[in-house]
Amino acid sequence: MKQDFLKFPLHLIVRPFDGFWDMKYEGKGKMKVSLLILLAVILTTILQKQFAGFLVNMVDPRSLNSLDDLEFTILPFLLFCVANWSITTLMEGEGKFKEIVMATGYALLPIVLINLPMTLISRFMTQEETAFYYLLNSIATVWFVILLFVGIMTVHQYTPAKTVLTMALTVIAMGFVVFIATLAFSLGSQIYWFIYDVYREIIFRT
Amino acid sequence: MHIKRVLLLVAIVSLMASFVIPRASAAAPYEAYNYDYYGDSAPLPAPYLPDVAITGKSLGIGDFKDPNDLFVTPESTTYILDSGNARIVVLDKDLKVERVIKTFKNNGKEDGFSAPEGLFVSDKHELYVADTENGRVVVLSDKGDLIRIISNPKSDILPADFKFVPLKVTVDQADRVFVVARGVFEGIMQFDDKNTFMGYVGTINVAPSIWDRLWKSLSTKAQKAQMQLFIPTEFSNVDIDRKGFVYATAIDISSDTPIKRLNPSGDDVLKRLGYWAVRGDVRFRMFGNNSGPSMFTDIKVIGGGMYVALDSNRARLFTYNDEGDLLYAFGGRGNQLGVFNTPVAVEQIGDKLAVLDRGKNNIVVFRTTKFGSLVRQATTEHYNGNDDVAVKLWGDVLRLNTNYEIAYLGIGKSLLMQKDNKKAMEYFKLGMSRKNYSVAYKRYRRDELKEQFGTFMTIVFTLIIAFILYRITRIVLRRRAVKREAGLS
Repeated sequence: MKQDFLKFPLHLIVRPFDGFWDMKYEGKGKMKVSLLILLAVILTTILQKQFAGFLVNMVDPRSLNSLDDLEFTILPFLLFCVANWSITTLMEGEGKFKEIVMATGYALLPIVLINLPMTLISRFMTQEETAFYYLLNSIATVWFVILLFVGIMTVHQYTPAKTVLTMALTVIAMGFVVFIATLAFSLGSQIYWFIYDVYREIIFRT
Repeated sequence: MHIKRVLLLVAIVSLMASFVIPRASAAAPYEAYNYDYYGDSAPLPAPYLPDVAITGKSLGIGDFKDPNDLFVTPESTTYILDSGNARIVVLDKDLKVERVIKTFKNNGKEDGFSAPEGLFVSDKHELYVADTENGRVVVLSDKGDLIRIISNPKSDILPADFKFVPLKVTVDQADRVFVVARGVFEGIMQFDDKNTFMGYVGTINVAPSIWDRLWKSLSTKAQKAQMQLFIPTEFSNVDIDRKGFVYATAIDISSDTPIKRLNPSGDDVLKRLGYWAVRGDVRFRMFGNNSGPSMFTDIKVIGGGMYVALDSNRARLFTYNDEGDLLYAFGGRGNQLGVFNTPVAVEQIGDKLAVLDRGKNNIVVFRTTKFGSLVRQATTEHYNGNDDVAVKLWGDVLRLNTNYEIAYLGIGKSLLMQKDNKKAMEYFKLGMSRKNYSVAYKRYRRDELKEQFGTFMTIVFTLIIAFILYRITRIVLRRRAVKREAGLS
């Protein structure tokens, strides 16, 4: 239990090359843990928006919506995984979809680990000290990006250059997916309204 | 049957009562508002309500024709510049006609004005008239006698064919005359008391953006000739405060600083510490009806560090305090009393506000409401440093409008002075001022730390000792167990 939920993820984020290798080949990674980290990211985001100190909390309280936080974290996550899987399948990546999801999930851990305490500490900061808050939050993001990079590289057994390329392509693919989805949604709603109108015409004719 | 009759009686009486009882307050024909921290306009109780409209007819001197400027002295004598009729109407305290100045003696000959646009009365009760079409500034005495005429300025920095077309005029205590002239982009023209041109003040800098430069470098000569020139915009009006600072408005739609406060050496020293730029409306439509940023045609310093700017685009009045916080905005276009057609000048009569409307040829006098006067008093008291009085007034303001962020700020600032840091933090949070909150919090935290230092250290030491004891007992217990296992004990 402790091994799966604490020791391995914490080991992974400081020794990413080692950790992701173990995740892929030694079967140490757990889907459950990865999704739990994703959930923790959502939770810390919500907590941060709600409880971060006044000096760093620029969120308009009228715009707080936990459901938004939920979907704006889960959807990009899934989008990234699907897009990356689609791209790497074409580019001889060795990773399975499950491994991509796990790698991405584990990579998110620094964000949880830094954001949660910073939310608390930010309540005891003055204006001059908020620089540290922003610095540490940026470190969390950079750390996440590095982990994601190493994770994708290890999972697919790519060279660094190829990983950069796939990451770029993944972003483009994400754009495509969003575009297609919007298009499909728009067409679908038009079809829906068309059928609805026809239905109404028929109803009111009789 | 009996009940029916009683009910009927009640109905009749209540119907009568609705005629008898006057409405508590006439609703304003406009919505007053302010911009909150998030940039949304937040409705306010009206700070001013329209009282009466003064027309030429109501004064018994024939209708005004294109009146262009208005001036009220501290003694509440009102001067109306009735441009179309080329006359100056002087009203006394009770807004009754005192006299009408139409002509003056110039070298023994009768002389008059031609489409004058600007008017100012100095502290010495000298009347300065920007006689626009005649290209001169006429200075008259209190009695209407000519004192001097400023015309045809001569200077090396002026081109030889320079045509002097004064629009607005203001004068400081040292009789320096500031003139806004048509077609002069360099700044406000400044004259000394000997009628000589001294130079410009308040030059507007023009800085084309990188995008403009790139665009220019890509265009052909013919296109460049078609392009808009990068010339600074003209000033539209000037006013002067008690300390001798010139407040000027410029019609510059691209600028964030259309209002300037110029110190004697001509630098802009207006404080802009509010959440939003001092430029009237911060949210507006970009296209269509009622679109575009505010364009100021007049500005009036009303004391207590406050100034009112008149927006000709949407016919609104914006009142700011000395730190650049918008206190309230109100007004609009329309036909009712209190809304304007073409407002051109704003002045203060006592604690009332007068707006000259060229389109309607009238002057609308606004009286302050309870809210308006409370805000005014509180701002003035705060400006004068009487924070204790100000706090009380701000409290009253909050009772009328709980959303008034500036009131929270005002209370917070005085609490900070009184070293009530915790409470000040609370008020700064409500007033959404992060800078002040941080100052209050820093002091609060220092005090708390000082006070709690002993307790904190006690806890730390206790924990350390407990930890050491825990380790020792564990080692001792383990050794004993080892010994027992070895059969030594």
